[in-house]
Amino acid sequence: MKKIIFTIAITGILALTSAFTAPTVSKLVSKAGHINFFSHTAIEDISADNYKVVSTLDTATGDVVYSIPMQGFEFEKALMQKHYNSKKFLDTKTYPKAKFKGQITNLDAVNFEADGTYNVTITGEMNLHGVTKTITETATITVLGNKITVETKVNLTLADYEINFAKGKPSTNIAKTIEVTSKSEYTKEG
Amino acid sequence: MTKRIIKWRLIILVGGLLIGGGTMYYLFNQPHRDIQAATADYKLEASALVNEYLTDAATANNKYLQDEGESKIITVSGTIASISNDLNNQTVVFLKSKTDKAGVSCTFTAETNMNAENLKVGDQVSIKGVIRSGAGYDKDLEMYEDVILEKCDTI
Repeated sequence: MKKIIFTIAITGILALTSAFTAPTVSKLVSKAGHINFFSHTAIEDISADNYKVVSTLDTATGDVVYSIPMQGFEFEKALMQKHYNSKKFLDTKTYPKAKFKGQITNLDAVNFEADGTYNVTITGEMNLHGVTKTITETATITVLGNKITVETKVNLTLADYEINFAKGKPSTNIAKTIEVTSKSEYTKEG
Repeated sequence: MTKRIIKWRLIILVGGLLIGGGTMYYLFNQPHRDIQAATADYKLEASALVNEYLTDAATANNKYLQDEGESKIITVSGTIASISNDLNNQTVVFLKSKTDKAGVSCTFTAETNMNAENLKVGDQVSIKGVIRSGAGYDKDLEMYEDVILEKCDTI
């Protein structure tokens, strides 16, 4: 008799435990993020867009990862696009993907369950052109219904990633620091 | 110098400048590659392309990607697993077989979007586009990435 009660009790406890600790999906995926990079000089402004950015957002840990297919950047001028991809610049055949892996530093400031706009900071490692550097970017997280939008902005210094041009048109027509903005949309499960 | 010689030298000089200027102008304003007007470099099943990448990504990238971004034009065939839109209002048709770990994502353009309108999940379709990046498991994303084709249209 005691054995039966004991068995029932253990089963009951286990059942209750698993009910309350059912795994919730906190890692969201976006396969169609947008990144724009913009260079301003007195001579000309250059802008390029990529609409194939893959990223993940873990709402429980604040971890964010972006994977950027470098050949997906489109420029208005075909010649500029070729130069950008070439060995002298981003060498996109050798480095087909850029990666950012970071974390929201003030995760407490965000409530993913309540509609609203939250300002956060994200710090992490940016790997571009084979070089990894720690960067910090500002971001805005917008929660609306079951949609979460993450928009980020950061300035990258090209020389930091060994993207240099000593002379010629590139050195005068491309800014030393490029403004990079991104937008990714995620859909909450359930 | 006679007037005749001067005249001819001027003609040659101006002619040279025009040719040089014209070439510069063309180079600077050259049109973007017309993917759909070009013949596909490769034609294969979406599954085969994915598996080529999952087996050896370095070799696959060397084969399909090109130095200046003018990478290979590929016609892929497969089953539609999903259809969506990206942030530039382009239709994205995702080809993937149930048994594969990754698929081929095909993004259409403003001009070709209408050809994707009648496609449905489950359809067998052939799509031609330019490759931007390959498939593979990403340890940071903790998931498989798909092959990405852009400038697509149905064949």
